[in-house]
Amino acid sequence: MRDRHAHAPDAPPDGGRPPALEPGEAVVAGPSAPGGAPTDRRSFLRATAGGGAAIALASALPSGTLAAYPAAQRDGADLRALSPKQYAVARAAAEALLVDLPVDPAAVARAVDADLAAVGDPIRSDMRTVFTLLEHLTPLAWRFRRFSALDVEDRRAYLMTWARSRFNLRRAAFQATRGFLYFNTYLREETWAVTGFPGPWPGRFHIPAYPIDFGEIA
Amino acid sequence: MIIQGTHHAGDVRDRADVVVIGTGAGGGTLADYLSERGWDVVMLDRGGFFRAEDFTQREQDAMVAFNGRRGLDSTVDNAYFLNYAECVGGSTVHYWGDSFRAPADRLERWRGFGIDWMTVGDLAPHFDAIEADLGIHVCPERLFNENNRLVRQGCEALGIAGDAVPTARVDCIGCGWTQYGCTYNRKTSQLITTIPRVSRRGGRVYSDARAERLILEGGRARGVTGSLLDRSTDRPRGTFRVDADLVVMAGGAIGSAEFLLRNVEDPIVGRRFYMNPHYFVYADFGREIDNVTGIPCAYEVHGFRELRTDADGRYRGGGYTMLCNHQSPGVTAATLSEIGAAHRERMGKYRQLGSLMSVIDESNPGRLWVGDDGHRRTWQRVRGVDVHKAVEFMKNAARIFLAAGAREVWIPDVWGTVVRDEAEVEENIGIRSVMPNAQFAAGSHFLGTAPLGSDPEDSFADPHGEAHRIPGLYVADGAAVPGSVSKDPSLTIMAVARHIAAGMHEREGRAGA
Repeated sequence: MRDRHAHAPDAPPDGGRPPALEPGEAVVAGPSAPGGAPTDRRSFLRATAGGGAAIALASALPSGTLAAYPAAQRDGADLRALSPKQYAVARAAAEALLVDLPVDPAAVARAVDADLAAVGDPIRSDMRTVFTLLEHLTPLAWRFRRFSALDVEDRRAYLMTWARSRFNLRRAAFQATRGFLYFNTYLREETWAVTGFPGPWPGRFHIPAYPIDFGEIA
Repeated sequence: MIIQGTHHAGDVRDRADVVVIGTGAGGGTLADYLSERGWDVVMLDRGGFFRAEDFTQREQDAMVAFNGRRGLDSTVDNAYFLNYAECVGGSTVHYWGDSFRAPADRLERWRGFGIDWMTVGDLAPHFDAIEADLGIHVCPERLFNENNRLVRQGCEALGIAGDAVPTARVDCIGCGWTQYGCTYNRKTSQLITTIPRVSRRGGRVYSDARAERLILEGGRARGVTGSLLDRSTDRPRGTFRVDADLVVMAGGAIGSAEFLLRNVEDPIVGRRFYMNPHYFVYADFGREIDNVTGIPCAYEVHGFRELRTDADGRYRGGGYTMLCNHQSPGVTAATLSEIGAAHRERMGKYRQLGSLMSVIDESNPGRLWVGDDGHRRTWQRVRGVDVHKAVEFMKNAARIFLAAGAREVWIPDVWGTVVRDEAEVEENIGIRSVMPNAQFAAGSHFLGTAPLGSDPEDSFADPHGEAHRIPGLYVADGAAVPGSVSKDPSLTIMAVARHIAAGMHEREGRAGA
C-alpha cells in the first residue's frame, strides 16, 4: 500500500533541464510552499529575485579591485575564492553579525574564503553571487550606499529586510550568509567563554580508544 | 588492506569478484557478508580514511575532513542543508548510532513496489545478525543527558509516546560527540566493524578513490574506473581501474544517484529523493542543563509517527517523529536566525537550551539531477500535507518543552517566534516558519534515488537489487530503499544490503562459500 498522500512521480530531469513540473499539492487540501521547482541555482536566482535583473546585475558588475575594496589587503588576506569586493562584503557582514564577541571579523571572513576555495563550485560561485547581490541591491531597501559602506547598525537592519523578504532568494542569501559566518565564529575556542561550552574531551581527559586491527594500511 | 589513494603514487589496476562503490551502511554490510563467504572484494570511497585519533571533537576538523562538501551542501535554493559524510565508513562515521528496524507499515508499503521479501519475517534474520554484530542495545539511563530526560518528562506529562533509542555502541562513555566521529572506537560504525574485517580477509579498501566511469561490456557492468585524489586539494593524483564480475552501488542515495546519472540512461534515477526534513525547536530552561554529553539522541518521540486523517482525507495529525538533538556550538549558532546582539544573547544561553529535531516522514519527495553545468543538484520543499506535519511538529515540540518546565520555546525562524504557553503555541506557530529559508533546515536520511521494484518503469533495480537495464550492476544502499523509513534509516539500509548480498551469494555463488 503506497502512501496515498504521495504524488505520482513527475517527469525526471532531462539532460540537465529542470524537473518538469512543480510536484504540486497533496491529495489533502493544504498549504503549499511558494515557488516552483527550479533547475539549478542560477535559474533559482532568476526565478526568485523577481526576475532576471538581480542576477544580471550581479553578473555584470566588476569583481572589485584592491583599490576600491582595500579590506583584504589591509587584513593581509591571501584570497583564494573571493574577490576583494566579495571579501569586503563578507567582512562587513561579519562586523554586523558579531556583537560583543571575542572574534575578529576578519578572521571569520578569511575562514569563509578558505572554505569556499576548498569546497569549489557550485557552492563557491553561489556564495560569490550572494555577496555581490548583498553589496549592490541596497536600493531595494531604500538605501543608496553599498552594503559595505553602510554603518554597522544599518547593515543589520538591511540584512533583516533580506531575512524577512517575500522573495526566497533574499531569505536564502540571508540564511547562507548568516549561517556560514556564525558557524565559522562559534566553532572557535574564543567563544567558549561566551557559550559556556566546556570543550572537547581530548585534552581534558585521557581516555584511550579501543584498539582496532585494520589489517595492512598503505 | 586499506589503500589510501592520497598516498598512492601512480595508477592502480585491480581485479575482484565484486567491486563495491561506497563503504557506509550499505557497502560495508554487503562487502563484509560477501568477503566472509569467500568473495574477493574491492571497496572504493571517494573520501579519506580516518581513525579515532583523527576525531578531535572539533567541528572545523570534522567539516574539513569528512563532512560532505564541508557541511555546506544544500538543495538548490538553500532550503535544506544536506548532512552526509564522505570517508571510509560513510555516514555511519557521523551518524548518531540510532538503530531502528523499519516499521511494519513501511515494509507493507514497499511490498507495493513488488519487493515481496520486504516482510518482518524475511528481514528478521538480517536485523538480528546486524544488531548482534554492532552491539545494538537500548540506550541505558546513564547515557541520557538532561535534554533527553526533560523531553521524556514532557512527553510523560502529556501522555505522548516515546522511548529510549536502540543504539549501535559498545561501552559508550557518553562524551556526546558521536556526530563528529567516535574518538574512542565505541560507536560501532562500519569504519571499525565491517571495514577492518574485509581488509583482514584480503579485500582491498581504497580511500580517496572517486569512481567516475562504469565499465560496460556488451551492456553488462564489468567494473569501474576513476581517480585517486589528493586529500588536501581534492585533485586527482592518479587513476584506478577495477575489473569485476559484479558492480555494487553503495555510495548513498546522493553519491550513487550522481554516479548513475553520469553513467547510465535511466529515467528513474533521482526522480524521488527523500531526506526526512529536519526542523529545529529550542527551549530555554532558565538554568544550566547538560545538553552536550551522553548520547545526544537517547530518546525518541514516536507518538506522532503515524499519519492521521479524517474520512475526507484531511490532515488530522502525525507524520513525523522527534529526536533529541546534538548541540555543538557552531551548528547551534548556524541554526539560530537572529543576528547581532539578539543572536549573542541567545548563544549566551547555550548551556540552558534543550532542543528537538523533526524527522518529517515526507509524502512528497524531492529530486536529484545533474545540471547543464555538470554539477549535481537537489531540490526539496515541504509542500501539501508535509507542511502540516512540519508545523504540527513545532507546536508539539513546544508543548513538550513547556510541559517539562521550559521558560520559553524558540522557533528559530527569521520572525523570532517565541512561545511561553499553550495559547501562544497556537497563536504564534504557523506556516510562515516553514517557508523555505525562513529558518535553517536540513536533511540527512537520504533515500529512494535508485529504488528497487518490480516495475522497470517505476524502479531502477529489480527486487534483488540488480539494475533492470544493466545486468551485473547492483544497488545496495539508501538509494535502493523505495521511500522514507520514517525513522533513522541506517539499520534498515544495512538489512536491505545484507539481504541483497545474501541473494547475490545464493545466485552467483563463489568458491570458499
